[in-house]
Amino acid sequence: MATPSASEADILAVGRDLAAALPGASRNPLKAIDDKAMDLASQDAEMRAALFRFVDVVPACRSLDDLARHLSGFLEEVGDRPPSLQVAMRMSESKAGRQALGAAAAAGVKHMAHRFIVGETPREATGVLEDLWRKGVATSVDLLGEATVTTGEADRYAARCGEALDGLVDVYRKLPERPALEADSAGRIPRENLSVKVSALTPLLRADAPELGKRDAAVRLRVLLRRARELDAHLHIDMESFDSREAVTDLVLELLSEEEFRDGPSAGLVLQAYLRDSPELCERIVTWAQATPRSYPLLVRLVKGAYWDHEIVEARQHGWQSPVFEVKADSDRNFEALTRRLLEARPAVRVAIASHNLRSIAHALAANRAMGGDDGDVEVQVLRGLGDDLQEALAKRGLRVRTYCPVGDLVAGMAYLVRRLLENTSNESFLHEQAAGRSLDDLLVAP
Amino acid sequence: MTDLPTFVNEPIGELRRSSVRDELTAGMAALEKKLPLRVPVWIGEGERHGEELTSEDPGAPSRIVALSAKATGAEVDEAVRTATKGFQRWSQTPAVRRAEILVKAAAWMRARRAELAALAVRECAKPWDEADADVCEAIDFLEFYARGAVALDRGKALFQVPGERNEMRYAPRGVVAVISPWNFPIAIPTGMTAAGLATGNAVVLKPAEQAPGCGLMVVRALREAGVPPDALALLPGEGDAGAALVRHPGVHTIAFTGSGPVGLDIIRAAAEPSARHLKRVVAEMGGKNCVIVDSDADLDDAVPAIVSSSFVYAGQKCSAASRVLVHEAIADALLERVAGAVEVLVVGQADTFGIDVPPVIERDAQQRVERYIDLAARAGSIAARAHTPAGCGSGADGLPADGWFVAPTVAADLPADSPVLGEEIFGPLLAFERVASVDAALERIDELPFALTGGLFCRNPHTVERVVRRTPVGNLYVNRPITGAMVGRQPFGGNRLSGTGTKAGGPDYLLHFVEPRVVTENTVRHGLVI
Repeated sequence: MATPSASEADILAVGRDLAAALPGASRNPLKAIDDKAMDLASQDAEMRAALFRFVDVVPACRSLDDLARHLSGFLEEVGDRPPSLQVAMRMSESKAGRQALGAAAAAGVKHMAHRFIVGETPREATGVLEDLWRKGVATSVDLLGEATVTTGEADRYAARCGEALDGLVDVYRKLPERPALEADSAGRIPRENLSVKVSALTPLLRADAPELGKRDAAVRLRVLLRRARELDAHLHIDMESFDSREAVTDLVLELLSEEEFRDGPSAGLVLQAYLRDSPELCERIVTWAQATPRSYPLLVRLVKGAYWDHEIVEARQHGWQSPVFEVKADSDRNFEALTRRLLEARPAVRVAIASHNLRSIAHALAANRAMGGDDGDVEVQVLRGLGDDLQEALAKRGLRVRTYCPVGDLVAGMAYLVRRLLENTSNESFLHEQAAGRSLDDLLVAP
Repeated sequence: MTDLPTFVNEPIGELRRSSVRDELTAGMAALEKKLPLRVPVWIGEGERHGEELTSEDPGAPSRIVALSAKATGAEVDEAVRTATKGFQRWSQTPAVRRAEILVKAAAWMRARRAELAALAVRECAKPWDEADADVCEAIDFLEFYARGAVALDRGKALFQVPGERNEMRYAPRGVVAVISPWNFPIAIPTGMTAAGLATGNAVVLKPAEQAPGCGLMVVRALREAGVPPDALALLPGEGDAGAALVRHPGVHTIAFTGSGPVGLDIIRAAAEPSARHLKRVVAEMGGKNCVIVDSDADLDDAVPAIVSSSFVYAGQKCSAASRVLVHEAIADALLERVAGAVEVLVVGQADTFGIDVPPVIERDAQQRVERYIDLAARAGSIAARAHTPAGCGSGADGLPADGWFVAPTVAADLPADSPVLGEEIFGPLLAFERVASVDAALERIDELPFALTGGLFCRNPHTVERVVRRTPVGNLYVNRPITGAMVGRQPFGGNRLSGTGTKAGGPDYLLHFVEPRVVTENTVRHGLVI
């Protein structure tokens, strides 16, 4: 049975309509990170390396002096330094200069971090979450943390997640109704939405023994699922690098198959379109969902994937074929194919399109309409700090947009922050192309 | 033969894919039908079988992996004499032809990769990923030295003036005695043997007494690929066979990898000149490898790297970490996390995917490591000991009952003169020390007689450069685990009492197996340059 698909003209029209709703052109996403360093970093590989290395080490520095010494050490390795950095180098030669440089640099990094991370604790994030809701934006909260290498760390992360669920209930129960965010044709959608990472729920994830980590994580995830069911909150299980893909997929599908979770909570997982074998995984998920009736359909968040560099490097070092598409257009095309497959699979699944690529979003909305679907039956997800403008446009058009909101301190958030910066300065990213002034029609062309 | 394609490392198995794990499991099933292997003393065309020597599965010592003959003194002599004859023809075989044979041996191993890995799992309790990497490294050595020997055969450029032609060439030395260890039971004997053969020497291989089965596979690979029987002999046996071999006057070069005391004995024995030549020793010996962690280290990276460097293959690698010296500013945080990470290490049988720590090689090793752990407990404190999750075993300590298991342990608060800090333990025991600075750590490390590998976790480029300049170690790893050297990428070997400074898998290694010769020809005749 062929599903009606959207024409390029339809996609273009949806894209233009969304673009028209974007906030003023002065606020393009790159410039919004009002940091010259970011601009410099996008232009020069050495600068980018220096910036990342510095941002990465900030939370581990013991003093402003230590901070400044690291900064000058990284900048020394940049061959062609713009004048502003020459000044920084000179400052690092004296103790007083280092204090000033360290303070300025620390403030810069903190500022940068606050664009992407909504607060150090869920409580601190309350204001942001409320504000977003009032503007018509749902959220998924993610608790940033250091890597889990011990049982104690896994237990603490699980406890923090449990507390966060309670805290989200406190935040959201006071807020006014937002019908577009709270229901679709399949029924209720919980306001409270927490994303969790399996790698943080167990120290035993082993790429060559998925069973081991799965068994250990299941103990803690089951407790969280029960808590989410009691509170009627949504629990989303994130996907990470390919090393843990099998363990995470099996874990989620097995736990959600258990009789006790048949009537809740609302839960979901992630499909990464940059994986070459994601179509097979998509089929597996769809088949599972069709065979496993639950009161809340499984929410599938479709993403491109955030570990591209990691996967490529790991594969090159080991002499493996990379599990991810090496050419971006291949991922983009696959994203659209998976979008259609998931939309077709409703109502067994709910679909969330997580992307900052206007074309990918326009395609999903147009494809949904071509299938006769209601706009309310597609959710769009964006990242805090990267998708702010898009979030505004989607909300303005009455679409359900959910913003992924990381919470945590700078130490815990550094890995996340560096990934976001990498994305933000990549020459291939949609945001970069948008900032570079490519025309709207160019940006909306089929991959 | 056309030129060999550029060297690339043999890709290690992608064990995160279940299909790859299934291949290895099938390899084990195929191997088990053939056990126990029968390992002969194999000299020329003659095979003498016997059962004087057995190798067992360290995880289940009642399981015999190989039944082996044990070389006698007379057989050692016969092997060297045969090799001396074999050398005549093999050394005259063109280098490209020898290289072709080595590349064929690599293909032989590649075709039997799962089964060879399974043998290393059974005979030496190498966990699957390590066993597979061992076979890949063996393949790498064959491919890498094949290419290196062809290049070396072309000689090196010399300064030329009119009227004379200067040539620098490299000639094989004669008979190489290879004495190999059990911890890389396929890779290391293959590497040392391949280096000898590629450069035109004949080789007599004495594999570790714990791993005769793996030794047999190395010789089979090379012989079936075309190495003439008289150019490569297999002498399974114990220490006495090795000692007789290195003392044999017909041996020119000794390639040894193993413990420090044995290495020093070999160097002393080799100093006794033969009637017609000086023996040369290529020795890779022990280490006491230290990881320095500076205050700016990313503990998310440092903790897993320290734990894997110390406990992978139960710490039985000469490159393994045995001390970690940590800046006091982060010492408490690091110790807490390392201890917690060690407590969840999975101790189990090598043939189980996902285990972290297999048994040690034999009872003596188990007792030796336990002695050091007792010493550490008395003189300092035990910060962590792993236990095994339910279902993994039922022995004391929660360890699997059968086999030479030792619980991975972290010791702390040791006095500076503790043997735990100064001696090579070669087992799953890591000592943790606090230091006031990276320089203080360097001072302590400098007191050691060993200088094999070292690690540094630090993100300040100035500090990294300072450590690079000061450290005596042969291989320094920055912000990564300190084991897992790759052929062609991390030429491996130590300095001081850790070895003769040769670098296996590096561009200079083959030079130790050859003699440089210079030929200068007068090209002037009657005042004319001809």
